Amino acid sequence: MFISACEREIEIELPDAEDLIVVEGSIEPGESPVVVLTRNRGFFDNFPSNLEGFVNEFVIQDAVVIVSDGQTSEQLSFTVNPFAYPYFYYTGTTLKGEIGKSYSLTIISNGKTLTSTTHISAAVPIDSTWYGLNPFDSTEDSLGVAYLSITDPDSIGNAYRLFAKKKEEGWFNQVAGSEFNDDYVNGQKVIFFAGQGEKPFVASDSFVPLNYFYNIGDTIILKFCSIGSKELKFFYTMDAALNSNGNPFAAPTIVKSNIEGGLGVWCGYSPVFDTLVATK
Amino acid sequence: MSHSFSQSSRLLFFLLLLPFFSWGQSKHTISGYIKDATTGEYLPGANVYVKENLLGTSTNGYGFYSLTLPDGNYTLSVSYVGYTEYTQKVNITKDQRINLTIQPKMVQAKEVEIVEKRIENNINSTDMGRVDISVEKMKKLPAFFGEVDLVKIVQLIPGVKNAGEGNTGLYVRGGGPDQNLVLLDEAVVYNAAHLLGFFSVFNSDAVKTVDLHKGGMPAQYGGRLASVLDISMKEGNNQKYKVDGGIGVIASRLTVQGPIKKDTSSFIISGRRTYIDAVTRPFIKSTSPTKGSGYYFYDLNMKFNYRLSDKDRLFLSGYFGRDVFTFKSTKSNFNIRIPWGNATVSARWNHLFSNKLFLNTALVFSDYQFESNISQTAFNIKFASGVRDYNAKMDFTWYPTIRHTMKFGANYIFHRFSPNNTSGDIAGEELDFGPKVYLYAHEAAAYIGDDFDVTEKLRIHGGLRASWFAQVGPYTQYIKNALDQKVDSITYTQGQLIKQYPNVEPRLMMRYTINKKSSLKASFTQNYQYIHITSLANQSLPTDLWFPSTGRVKPQFGTQYSLGYYRNFKDNTWETSVEAYYKTMKNQIEFKDGTLPSSGVGDNLDNYLTFGKGEAYGAEFFVKKALGKTNGWIGYTLSWTTRTFPELNNGKTYFARYDRRHDLSIVLTHELSDKWTFGGVFVFASGNLLWLPTSVYFFEGKPVVNYGERNNYRMPPYHRLDLSATYTPKKGKRVQSSWNFSIYNVYSRLNPYFIYVETSGSPLFGDLKNSAKKVSLFPIIPSVTYNFSF
Repeated sequence: MFISACEREIEIELPDAEDLIVVEGSIEPGESPVVVLTRNRGFFDNFPSNLEGFVNEFVIQDAVVIVSDGQTSEQLSFTVNPFAYPYFYYTGTTLKGEIGKSYSLTIISNGKTLTSTTHISAAVPIDSTWYGLNPFDSTEDSLGVAYLSITDPDSIGNAYRLFAKKKEEGWFNQVAGSEFNDDYVNGQKVIFFAGQGEKPFVASDSFVPLNYFYNIGDTIILKFCSIGSKELKFFYTMDAALNSNGNPFAAPTIVKSNIEGGLGVWCGYSPVFDTLVATK
Repeated sequence: MSHSFSQSSRLLFFLLLLPFFSWGQSKHTISGYIKDATTGEYLPGANVYVKENLLGTSTNGYGFYSLTLPDGNYTLSVSYVGYTEYTQKVNITKDQRINLTIQPKMVQAKEVEIVEKRIENNINSTDMGRVDISVEKMKKLPAFFGEVDLVKIVQLIPGVKNAGEGNTGLYVRGGGPDQNLVLLDEAVVYNAAHLLGFFSVFNSDAVKTVDLHKGGMPAQYGGRLASVLDISMKEGNNQKYKVDGGIGVIASRLTVQGPIKKDTSSFIISGRRTYIDAVTRPFIKSTSPTKGSGYYFYDLNMKFNYRLSDKDRLFLSGYFGRDVFTFKSTKSNFNIRIPWGNATVSARWNHLFSNKLFLNTALVFSDYQFESNISQTAFNIKFASGVRDYNAKMDFTWYPTIRHTMKFGANYIFHRFSPNNTSGDIAGEELDFGPKVYLYAHEAAAYIGDDFDVTEKLRIHGGLRASWFAQVGPYTQYIKNALDQKVDSITYTQGQLIKQYPNVEPRLMMRYTINKKSSLKASFTQNYQYIHITSLANQSLPTDLWFPSTGRVKPQFGTQYSLGYYRNFKDNTWETSVEAYYKTMKNQIEFKDGTLPSSGVGDNLDNYLTFGKGEAYGAEFFVKKALGKTNGWIGYTLSWTTRTFPELNNGKTYFARYDRRHDLSIVLTHELSDKWTFGGVFVFASGNLLWLPTSVYFFEGKPVVNYGERNNYRMPPYHRLDLSATYTPKKGKRVQSSWNFSIYNVYSRLNPYFIYVETSGSPLFGDLKNSAKKVSLFPIIPSVTYNFSF
């Protein structure tokens, strides 16, 4: 029956999109906040084909960005670091994240005001980490993933997100699908697994095992973060939206932002780190 | 206060007693059954009336009629579409039982497929937006892949819209697909579609009548807002054995029927199976990595009836159908098996208490299950969902005087819903997905309705339906805080009442005859709907779950006003009508933004729902030529339907998925000779609404789409022409055969089935690409079906 089904690319006219500001903001204990601000763009508009074009057309460089912990606040300034993601961001010098504190974010740009708050909760320690070969291929003898186990605290509302990198890499990449909360496993032992993180600005629509798995001998650093529930909802729906890209039967997935007046997330992370070497 | 109450109740009492008064003249009752002379099938909806005063009635769902008349001489007339009119002189001096058999007209269709009951019945009845369909005549129309599908014919009626290319889902007057009550021999069919909706589950060989109510719903029906599609299975020929069959391109059918004891009992068994899998299997190499993948469906209808006496009859009928989709990948050791389908059983007993009072008692079982089994190496996982009903009902038909036909009765259903149960194991070790979750509910209703000829010109159907729904335990209700965290739970024990909804639903329809050729009709109806489907996807899928009203989900409530003008021309050769309607719908249901397909697992589904209201209005134009060698109809609908949800679309009103501005159907058949009949269908409809992204942004270096306003994109219009030719050679010694040649989508219009968008690549590498893709399912499809009967 589906032999006769036919798919073709077509041109369609979509309603004009509203101009929106996208926030990619984080704050960690002992660190200054990092806030990336970009614009959205109409679905069928032309997109830049290099980093320079991207910076000129997408990155908002002249916004007023203020972070406050309720007592002190700091206006962040625009910074460029061409060697490490996120390359173009706002950051500060005085205000540093602290466990147990809440942080508000205010952004004023082009007549718009965006606000959000987040919280840095206590970190949940890692019980153990280990390396295992790809469980779905019994013939595999070198490629595999890192495992990490924790014991979820006996209180509801714990949520997590995992990052990873190889020792030689410049920054941590988020592990796709690692966002998780304790709705069904409250107080229990939980095992996460991590392939290599998702590198920014690399098309992930072609699956290459060597880009996903670790090889024997790799030194892997895991960054396991506790986050808040609203922030988890954002990452959870974001992941679903990315996974449904190009799936004709998928439902329209609405990403639930915690930014008032914009898109994206303002997230407090409480990380713990562990290093392991991939061995058989 | 008490004074006025007693006055009004006295008036009510008087009105209720009105039917009993005999106005001083001696009266007697003639009653009986109307049957088909060749098959012995009882004929529901046949018109029985007296020529002298044109008063009359129609047979009930079991072919029974009763007329009470002053003593005297009359000419009794029976008419039924597709049958020769029967008249008989009667002299009424005492109560009489007159069972009549009427002769079907010869094989060729003189009438078109959609028929009204009495010749002038479209003018005379109080029914608005009601059509019934003669199944035998449908076979002359073009058929999709050679499979005659009565639901697809229903979609050609104004006010009824198909849910998309090839889809048997119905959108009736701005309502969703869950707002239609689909009954097969009184059993609810929860998912009336095979193969993602391309075929309906109704095997046309086993179906006797199809009755659609899209306007005013009489009081005996309830539980849905938009429509009732009431389908009766054949009883089985009680005169002689008969075999009918059809061999088509993708499916074949076989029906066997006959008497067990002539005139007393008979049976019918009808089966159908597709063989796409069997046809393609020899062409798949034994080394193919996907060997063993495939799809098929089958269904089986069975019915048995026994006449105990002139007063008692028993019926037992059943339906069983399954779709099975399998996918196997030997390379990755990956298997999927997805079976789904309905099963129904109805046991019924008809009893005549007197020549005026008829009772049907029914016990009905109805079940819909969907399963998805996925396995890879040692890992197995199964998702199961479904709904199961146990139903008991009693329906009385009472003919107190010739001016009244009253229907009253009661109905009770016990529902069990299983929205989504997951189980699985790794290498035989069971995985814990928590206990299986079921939701239980009682649903009950009592009703009374009266068709009352107030004067020669004015007929009123007044009805009242009292309905009640209660969700009961065992059930665990989770309480969540503002952060969507489960903070508490309430556990209900077995049978414990969680929430109940008692309601009253008035129904009023009236017809005023202007003259013999034209009439005006109006109706006002209110309905409650206690069980619901809502879907995350842009399409209707077999995974869509039914769930009950609960403490958080209130019953849907609909109010419909309609007004119609009916006019016939040229001795009823041409029938025309215009109907306008306005509908409001309260407690409509959608998923909250950000709900994911996995959201209900380990939680209450109703924690993810949000509630709003809907509105629908439109006008339906219908022109039909019912007589002559060339006949057919043109139906056109102009309509609007919107939804408003405080929590969706920023509270702004939006057009519902079911909104369709224009919908046109043209159906024609032409009888060229005794051997050749030609048919054609043309449809044009505004495109379906989709909710598409309007912009893209980057998060952590990945392109993410952002959706604009809900249902912001209308697909291109849908149009299609189908043609058919039916060749009926002269009857052989024993076998009557016919060939149906059909061409679906003659000019191969690539109608969009759906449109979706995709983003790929990265802006840093210059290969970022956003695209929209249109999927079309069916280009031109010729097919041939060989039908036989002996």
